[in-house]
Amino acid sequence: MTYIGKPIKRIEDDRFLKGLGKYTDDIKLPGMTYAYILRSPYAHAKINGIDIAAAKAHPGVLAVYVGSDIPEAVAGVPCGWQVNFKNGDIMKEPPHPLLVRTKVRHVGDGVAMIIAEDRATAKDAADLIDVDYDVLDAVVDPQKATAAGAPLVHDDVPNNIAFDWELGNPKEEVAAALASAAHVTELSFVNQKVIPNAIEPRAAIGIHDAAYDKYTLYTSTQNPHLIRLLMCAFVLGLPEHKVRVVGPDVGGGFGSKIFHYTEEALVIWASKKIGRPIKWTAERSESFMTDAHGRDHVTTAKMGFDADGKIVALQSNTYAGMGAYLSSFAPAVPTYLHGTLLQGLYTTPKINVDVTATFTNTTAVDAYRGAGRPEATYLLERLIDLAALEMKVDPAALRRKNFIPAFDGVEQEGYVTQVALQYDSGNYHPVLDKALEMVGYEDFRKEQAAAAANGKLMGIGFSTYIEACGIAPSAVVGALGARAGLFESAQVQVQPTGKVTVYTGSHSHGQGHETTFAQVVADKMGIPMEDVEIVHGDSDSVAFGMGTYGSRSLAVGGSAIVKSIEKVLEKGAKIAAHLLESSPEDLEYAEGKWTVKGTDKSVAFGDVSLTAYVPHNYPEGLEPGMDFSSFYDPANFTYPFGCHIAIVEIDPETGKVDLKRFIAVDDVGNVINPMIVDGQIHGGLAQGIGQALFEEAMYDETGQLINGSYMDYTMPRADDLPSFEVDRTVTPCPHNPLGVKGAGEAGCIGSTPAVVNAVIDALWKGGHEVKDIRMPMTPERVWTAMQG
Amino acid sequence: MQLKGKETFSTSGQQLWDIIMDKDKLAAITPGISRLEVLGEDEYKAVVDISIGPVKGAFKGDLKMVDKDPPNSVTMKVKQMSKIGNADVTVHLHIEEISPTQSTLSFKGLAKMSGVLARMGQRVMTGVAATITKQLFAALQEEVQKLKPNS
Amino acid sequence: MGHSITLTVNGTSVTKEVEARELLVHFVRDHLSLTGTHIGCDTSSCGACTILVDGKATKSCTMLAVQADGSTIMTIEGLASNGELHPIQEGFKENHGLQCGFCTPGMVMTAVDLLQRNPNPTEHEIREGLEGNYCRCTGYHNIVKSIQHAATKMNT
Repeated sequence: MTYIGKPIKRIEDDRFLKGLGKYTDDIKLPGMTYAYILRSPYAHAKINGIDIAAAKAHPGVLAVYVGSDIPEAVAGVPCGWQVNFKNGDIMKEPPHPLLVRTKVRHVGDGVAMIIAEDRATAKDAADLIDVDYDVLDAVVDPQKATAAGAPLVHDDVPNNIAFDWELGNPKEEVAAALASAAHVTELSFVNQKVIPNAIEPRAAIGIHDAAYDKYTLYTSTQNPHLIRLLMCAFVLGLPEHKVRVVGPDVGGGFGSKIFHYTEEALVIWASKKIGRPIKWTAERSESFMTDAHGRDHVTTAKMGFDADGKIVALQSNTYAGMGAYLSSFAPAVPTYLHGTLLQGLYTTPKINVDVTATFTNTTAVDAYRGAGRPEATYLLERLIDLAALEMKVDPAALRRKNFIPAFDGVEQEGYVTQVALQYDSGNYHPVLDKALEMVGYEDFRKEQAAAAANGKLMGIGFSTYIEACGIAPSAVVGALGARAGLFESAQVQVQPTGKVTVYTGSHSHGQGHETTFAQVVADKMGIPMEDVEIVHGDSDSVAFGMGTYGSRSLAVGGSAIVKSIEKVLEKGAKIAAHLLESSPEDLEYAEGKWTVKGTDKSVAFGDVSLTAYVPHNYPEGLEPGMDFSSFYDPANFTYPFGCHIAIVEIDPETGKVDLKRFIAVDDVGNVINPMIVDGQIHGGLAQGIGQALFEEAMYDETGQLINGSYMDYTMPRADDLPSFEVDRTVTPCPHNPLGVKGAGEAGCIGSTPAVVNAVIDALWKGGHEVKDIRMPMTPERVWTAMQG
Repeated sequence: MQLKGKETFSTSGQQLWDIIMDKDKLAAITPGISRLEVLGEDEYKAVVDISIGPVKGAFKGDLKMVDKDPPNSVTMKVKQMSKIGNADVTVHLHIEEISPTQSTLSFKGLAKMSGVLARMGQRVMTGVAATITKQLFAALQEEVQKLKPNS
Repeated sequence: MGHSITLTVNGTSVTKEVEARELLVHFVRDHLSLTGTHIGCDTSSCGACTILVDGKATKSCTMLAVQADGSTIMTIEGLASNGELHPIQEGFKENHGLQCGFCTPGMVMTAVDLLQRNPNPTEHEIREGLEGNYCRCTGYHNIVKSIQHAATKMNT
């Protein structure tokens, strides 16, 4: 093991640091044209007519398209996950058109596409288009959307309900357990709508090559193959083998670049019509209006405890906003990625989760870093911390009392939850122990008491979370409504000179796959990292892929690579045995060479590779070449967990929350590159803290997004955050070859409730016994809460 | 966005009412309105140019006077459209005569905005509205002064 | 229509025709094909387009190209010399100060200016100095460390 477990510096960094990264908008092609999308300024309005004559006549304009120009057969972009109503009916799935014909349903809905010689001309021409709108009342709140008389986002969806869903123990059993509980903590809260805001705005380039009748789409995506599949099979009806999709360097995704967006299909469709490449790049304002948002839950939950402090039951009822349309994976987020996580780390014997998903006149909601698990964690961790305050017990001790006992998934069976999962392996006390030690818990409590005596408000908040990632066993998700498999593919191609090219279906947009995957390959093959090249993101080079989301790249994509390496080494052993006049069973492979056990007779990997391609002296009946593909479908999800602790100080005069410290102890299984894992945790923490303190997509009652720019949507800046204190424990995943669990989302999943809990704790210690402050906890909201 | 304002003028309620009901005077005193064209009874086409900080644009639309109760109150409904967004404003004007030489004009209303105005202009619009109100009242004061015999 | 401007870009003199309304960032990306300078927003809030104009960190979306006539600009492409990373670039690599790389050029150029003005910044001063630059990947933790690394290296 030369590389695995070491903080190897990233291979990709040099190009990014020198300004040589190639993001979609950086690509300039001969004959390039530029598209601009005219978008609805209204959240809900009927279109009576669109006058495009002046725009078409504008010098430099090549084409203007509106909804009626799109072929009838093209209904729009599809949803890839089907959830059924409780009564078995299929979810309501109204079309999401590429350009709206009759009724716009959120601010930013696309109405016309203008293609011109340059960007500024396209935008100028958009100003010349007159759209005659009849403005309708809008609905923006996921719960109010179901009220009688609420405006209907889709005329044929009664009460705006996309589907309802339930999981766990029967409601009556949970109600009975709550009725007999010694203490019940009840909390109604909003997990607000937030915006992912990758710093690279989305972009897409459509190219049609008339010579081969072949299309190429460059797009800022997390999963090029999936975009190809969705766009070819479900949108445009193009033959998949005639379409190449490339996700080049991508400037952050956080979920928002998983989904198939209308602009991707539009530039491909129009590229053949005008016979020139078309580039569309979102302005930041468009990103705010059209990138899928996250969260948007309105929840009421009850957690019951017996006299000893053991949790006896949990009931949760949630309205989940879907926005105006069902985005690619939206239905899975509040259901299978949220309801299934409500066991948490606790032995709760009765759990029922009830979800009603609704349409609103807002931008579509889909997976955003954590996708459902942050919402589940927020629910559980807010409740247990609040219960500790109400019952006047220590929040750490209350958690300990309820932790599921350790199990490794090998000697001890995986833990079967009340909500349809079986955890792989877990050992929950050590993460809490370590975090408490790092924070200096007892000293902090003394400091806090002293501060309170001086009128200062200090608080500590906990979050002990679990998540499910490494998405996912295809058969399981298929049974749950996924319309795609969630395996991953990898091809390991050994060149004649012993250099190795690895084609992975995972996609890196900041995660550092080119480094981490090369570490794995180099170690498993016993060759230098310099001899390994990781190729990703191009459907013409990579045979197939499902992409990167759900913290799955290493657990699923990495496992597929390991499978292919095993095949390479198995074949290599046959060739080596032939060259060494031995048999494969008598060889051992280490440090890049096969050695006959107990001798010094060996042959190097490079010589075996060369022999595979120059098979003069070669085993009889063996195919030449050294090139293997594998598909890996995981046996289970992986279940990282951890303990996050926030320490805050509140200015009693202004209500401003100062995040003094943030401690995160995460267990993400085995770690290939600790530097990269820490970086993933840091970024997740910042986003989770951002939700607690700063971020929200704010709509007024007419459905206008009133903070749709970086001036007003408050993402954390450098001086809003402390340096983080992170550490880890290691509980390997028992069911994948690397023992890894996934680290991409953990930081974002655990951190939000820790911060809110810390603020609530500070207020209680200062004599303000408030149950909830709506996120983001702005100074005004905190100050108001303090006034009683 | 909520709108409101109140100012006292040294004139009678009727005279204040007359100024506001005179379309040319109304156009002259309202900041940004370059002219009002009569479309029908109590209905005008308004051409508006506003340029205050980042809120800058040429608006087209109409102005309707409804629920007229001379010389006490009127509701103005203004719909304005522009490339930076649209505004839909309803304002209730109320005139109270304190004495034949002193009256107050108060208004309150609601402005609904869309597009860039809503998305990026919202936080500055309150300031913009305050500025416009101030300019409007100042211009109205001047107009009232013109009515005085010795001015 | 066109205006002729002459400026020094990464050490080389350049003369080009530009439209009066063209922003410096578009000039750099579209006319000079220096695509290391990125556009992350439309409100001058994100700092991804930060370059050095006459030595000062400047958001190139806040300037018209014609305003840069006669000035000397440096973009991320001009920072490394003879293939050797600048100490700040090295700091970012050593400390994992970048993930997706999109905000990175702006961060690095801002840091160049920051350390010119203040060669020994405290953590607090570094965080304040990065106020104008958004990063969504790193939580800033390792960016701060990267700049500390560079400061130490540049002072020895």
